[in-house]
Amino acid sequence: MSGAPSREEIALHLRAALAAIGAADEAALKAELAAIVHWQEQPLMAGLAKLAQQLGEALRELPVVDAAVAELPDVCARLDHVVAMTEQATHRTLDLVEDSQRLMEALNAPGADHGVLLKALRGNLSDMALAQSYQDLTGQIIRKVAGIVRDVHEQLGALGLPPGDTTRRPATNPLAASGPAVAGIDRSAASQRDADDLLSDLGL
Amino acid sequence: MRILIVDDFSTMRRIVKNLLADLGFTNTAEAEDGGAAIAMLRHGGFDFVVTDWNMPGVNGLDLLKMIRADEKLKALPVLMVTAEAKREQIIEAAQAGVNGYIIKPFTAATLQEKMNKIFERLGSAA
Repeated sequence: MSGAPSREEIALHLRAALAAIGAADEAALKAELAAIVHWQEQPLMAGLAKLAQQLGEALRELPVVDAAVAELPDVCARLDHVVAMTEQATHRTLDLVEDSQRLMEALNAPGADHGVLLKALRGNLSDMALAQSYQDLTGQIIRKVAGIVRDVHEQLGALGLPPGDTTRRPATNPLAASGPAVAGIDRSAASQRDADDLLSDLGL
Repeated sequence: MRILIVDDFSTMRRIVKNLLADLGFTNTAEAEDGGAAIAMLRHGGFDFVVTDWNMPGVNGLDLLKMIRADEKLKALPVLMVTAEAKREQIIEAAQAGVNGYIIKPFTAATLQEKMNKIFERLGSAA
């Protein structure tokens, strides 16, 4: 170990420490012991320094992580917003449907003003069409999120993570609720007819 | 006939509620997950349950099992209305004692057909 005391120097420190004990010189004893401890720590310190240097080099070799990763925290908020927008639009449409049902029943009432009721029905239909405009907005948000996820996936792939081999996906519990099956991605889902046949076989 | 509609999405609860009203079942109540539902059911007064499967907290399958394990509720008819459509899931629901299984998205005609079938079976069993 370069810079470290030689064996002879350590022998000198040990003899000096013994002499200090004999002379009851505590300060000298501490100084000699400190020199010995320092000698013992040298390989550990050198090892840590080398490790830190290698870590620094490895980090410098990592690909630069771009803005997509920085956008990940926003992704959840964007998707929550999509859920809120679709929920709002659906309730708006259901409001209009229920109001239209009321107007249709009113058409049959004696003395009903058909002109006024039909105008209100036309207005409701027009508002229902307008309420569907959420699809444009949520569609844009979902496409943006898909783009971010795709970028992050590519960057993870560049780092060697995760395995691109989809057959190595961990086994999932077939009973765990996983939401609607997506064609081409999820294992083929049963249709209502399949479910009916299956339940019929089971005596239901 | 008082029906409890259980779904975590308020829109789906409303759609099911409207469809049931069209079928003449106007006495309905709503719960947003299995935990809220079982508390309402134990309070009493319900004759039928329409439940989703995938919900946070107590899911629909666990709700079904809790109903079948409850001495006072075990005969309550349960119709599962869910997007879960794996064979294993349908079999598990059947084994847990579900009375009917509808896969989302569904039609008003399917809901009517399954409700009628359940009532027919209950009528012939009585």
